[in-house]
Amino acid sequence: MEIKSTDASDFKLVYDSSFTLLMRVSYHIVYNEDIAEELVQEAFERFYVKNMTFPSVDEAMFWLIRVTKNLALNHVRRHKRELNMVEKVKKMPGEASSNQDGSKQLIEQETIQAVRKAIESLPDNLKIVIKLKEYTDLDYKGIGKVLGISESNVKVRVFRARKKLEELLGKEDGYVY
Amino acid sequence: MCIDEQLISSYLDGELCEPYKSQTEEHLSYCKACNARLEKLKKVSDLVKLSSPSDEVLSKGKDEVFALLEKKYLGQKKKHISFLRRKFEVTFPTMVTSAAAVVVIFVGGFVLFGSNSSQTNEIVPSFNLQAGQDNVRFVSNKEQGLDSYSLEEIMKYLDSKGYEVDISIKGLKPLEETSTEPTSLE
Repeated sequence: MEIKSTDASDFKLVYDSSFTLLMRVSYHIVYNEDIAEELVQEAFERFYVKNMTFPSVDEAMFWLIRVTKNLALNHVRRHKRELNMVEKVKKMPGEASSNQDGSKQLIEQETIQAVRKAIESLPDNLKIVIKLKEYTDLDYKGIGKVLGISESNVKVRVFRARKKLEELLGKEDGYVY
Repeated sequence: MCIDEQLISSYLDGELCEPYKSQTEEHLSYCKACNARLEKLKKVSDLVKLSSPSDEVLSKGKDEVFALLEKKYLGQKKKHISFLRRKFEVTFPTMVTSAAAVVVIFVGGFVLFGSNSSQTNEIVPSFNLQAGQDNVRFVSNKEQGLDSYSLEEIMKYLDSKGYEVDISIKGLKPLEETSTEPTSLE
């Protein structure tokens, strides 16, 4: 089914099927819900304005993921200093409890911080692959399409990222395991 | 011999295709070391997956954002922006070009189609080249051409007017004198 980005029903279809996924991609790069939402909105605006045609919903979604990812990475690059401040404020004891929800109660806040730190310490090419792998429902093929790399390359990077994370999380603190 | 750990990672993601998948499964069924590796990788993967806000939290702004986008783009499609309310943006070179074009058309219009001679005289005094009854004089209205006169008559006429005439005769074959004489008058 062909998707036209300016067609109202097509737009709605793509929007509904990809919003949450894009939010996950965006959030795990900027680590801020509001900014993540802004960036996803921006991605959809571009999607509409560019007036493009895609062969399928999936293809449209790949495009959107790619754009969202790039927007988020650019945002991080530009606002590195501000984001560091935000992180510091977040780590202050009073603030930490305010943004808790279901899944965060299952897993301790501290552990989340440790995992995040481990992921962020990975080299860039592994970082984005493991984020797409674990936070979206994409398979190797889809990730390859989004990033413009081969399926086997994705496979290798996912594995390497996992090994590194295993190492980082294992040695760093005993409570993870 | 144990299987490659990368295969285990792919197996965990459910991305192994058939011959390898069953082979890996078979190996995992008895190899404790590989099972431990699988467990480790799975733990890392789950840990990463879990350290994310839930989908409800992330998608709470979904409808809001859509409403915004709808208002901004999708709704606007039916509203046609009228010609007069549209914003025109003109760059500087365009402005210069169009100004020059206006001048050329204005002047050109006068030169080509403008007005009779008296008007031209008023606007551009030194530019009165228009042909009219007052500045064109008919020299002759006889219908005869030059060849209705004999050479002698022409010579006589030119002589009386004070012209110095030089006649030369050119022929390709000098012996045939019966051919008509080409003449050139100067």
